[in-house]
Amino acid sequence: MIDFEHVGKRYGGRFEALANIDFRVRRGEMVFLTGHSGAGKSSLLRLIMRLERPSRGRVLVAGHDIARLHASQVPFYRRQIGVVFQDHQLLFDRSIYHNVALPLDIQGVEPREAARRVRAALDKVGLLHREKALPIELSGGEQQRVGIARAVVNKPSLLLADEPTGNLDPQLSADIMTLFEDFNRIGTTVMIASHDLALIARLHHRILRLRDGRLVADEVAA
Amino acid sequence: MSPRPTPSPTPRGARTHRRQPRSRLRGWARHHRLMCQDSAWRLFRAPVGSLLTMLAIAIALVLPAALWLTLDSAQLLDAELEESATLTVYLAAQVEEAQAVRIDEALAAHEGVANTRLITAAEGMAEFQQALGLTDALGSLDTNPLPASIVVTPREPEPQAMRVLGESLEQVNGVDEVRLDLAWVERLRHLGELGRRVALALGVLFGGGVLLVVGNTIRLAVESRRQEIEVVTLIGATHAFVRRPFLYSGAWYGLGGGLIAWGLLALGGEWLAAPVATLAASYGASFSLPHLGPGGSAILVGCSILLGWLGAWIAVSRHLASIRPR
Repeated sequence: MIDFEHVGKRYGGRFEALANIDFRVRRGEMVFLTGHSGAGKSSLLRLIMRLERPSRGRVLVAGHDIARLHASQVPFYRRQIGVVFQDHQLLFDRSIYHNVALPLDIQGVEPREAARRVRAALDKVGLLHREKALPIELSGGEQQRVGIARAVVNKPSLLLADEPTGNLDPQLSADIMTLFEDFNRIGTTVMIASHDLALIARLHHRILRLRDGRLVADEVAA
Repeated sequence: MSPRPTPSPTPRGARTHRRQPRSRLRGWARHHRLMCQDSAWRLFRAPVGSLLTMLAIAIALVLPAALWLTLDSAQLLDAELEESATLTVYLAAQVEEAQAVRIDEALAAHEGVANTRLITAAEGMAEFQQALGLTDALGSLDTNPLPASIVVTPREPEPQAMRVLGESLEQVNGVDEVRLDLAWVERLRHLGELGRRVALALGVLFGGGVLLVVGNTIRLAVESRRQEIEVVTLIGATHAFVRRPFLYSGAWYGLGGGLIAWGLLALGGEWLAAPVATLAASYGASFSLPHLGPGGSAILVGCSILLGWLGAWIAVSRHLASIRPR
């Protein structure tokens, strides 16, 4: 599903964010990406989302070298990836329902079909009863679940999350991770960047460890 | 690595992407409709700001439009004057009346001549007497001192063409002299040309002003919705999708500004109509201010909408480049 072939990323010609990253994530896998802040986790995710291109090497997603995508194709590529952000990136001027419906609006999905899928996604994250609420009325954990609902409403085959439990207490964090495991169980490839080592260790998934832009460990938590 | 336009990581993803073209078209049309309504609604929610922007557009449009109207009427006047531009061909004094008629026929057959009017010596005398009221003095003359003349209306009232025609008519046997008074025609022509250039320059300048007004308003709107733009870009919105609501806003501003400009022009015309009519009457002429017909109104409002749309397009495009998801 995701292939990194000797990928390097430099910013401004000097700062080396990633160096010689080489790994492969199979379809349907669940992988944690960890390391201290500044180790390159976000840079790596940005490469997969095609927000940036590698300075060296190739990034292949589903067999396609995504650096070769034309700018006009990038939006269509991104529609096939669900992304969960640390700060959830919800739009505060519209209801939970319309936040989750955003990816479907962009694709021009018919309103009735969109409503069905939005409700299904909200149901999955346990927030169906809050669909008319505004994001500001929700707690941090609930907002993050809305962010997840938005990421999965399009049924992406690849789900990326950047520090999805960054601001949450341990119990809420564990709930969120369980949610990701649920999506992984139905076949979605999941990649989560997180520095919550204690939580990750309990989950028994593959862990990619970054340090100073290098991949220093690729292991499965015992 | 495949040359397919859109890689699809999964069969499922591929299925959503390869939806029926008809349904995609419907989705696209629906988004247009929604954005058209949404941008109008946003304008209504900030009525004072929207009205100020529209007023600025209207004021920028009124001046060139008014000048355009004035020139339009001047052009009508110009055309009338050109129609009356003629050459006077004086025949030699010894030419007999029968010969004059033959010369008149010859001139009428000339390719550059539209029509001719023969004024015989006797007729010329009569006109002269009538115009000057010198019946007695002239009546006492033994012989008629006036030559016969032919008034020639040229096919082309262009000064240069008239000059060439005059020279060629002078070669005709029996013609003594050809007179053409071109100075006023040329002066009017130059004045008209000057006016047209000034109007064009003003139109371009004020059109640029409209672009700036709309561009600046849209720039602020884009700035206030920066987060939304970042988010939708991250989840796969195309540039066209992001641009759409702002383009509609620009077009709405243009429509509002155009309608206000139209209203101002109508009001101004009404206000000036009475003094203009009085002034024209004092010259023994009937002249009324021109007003925008349905066609002119459509052009004014259409141009305004187009300028609004274009200003928004420039502002959004410039800004989209600077908004990159973090």
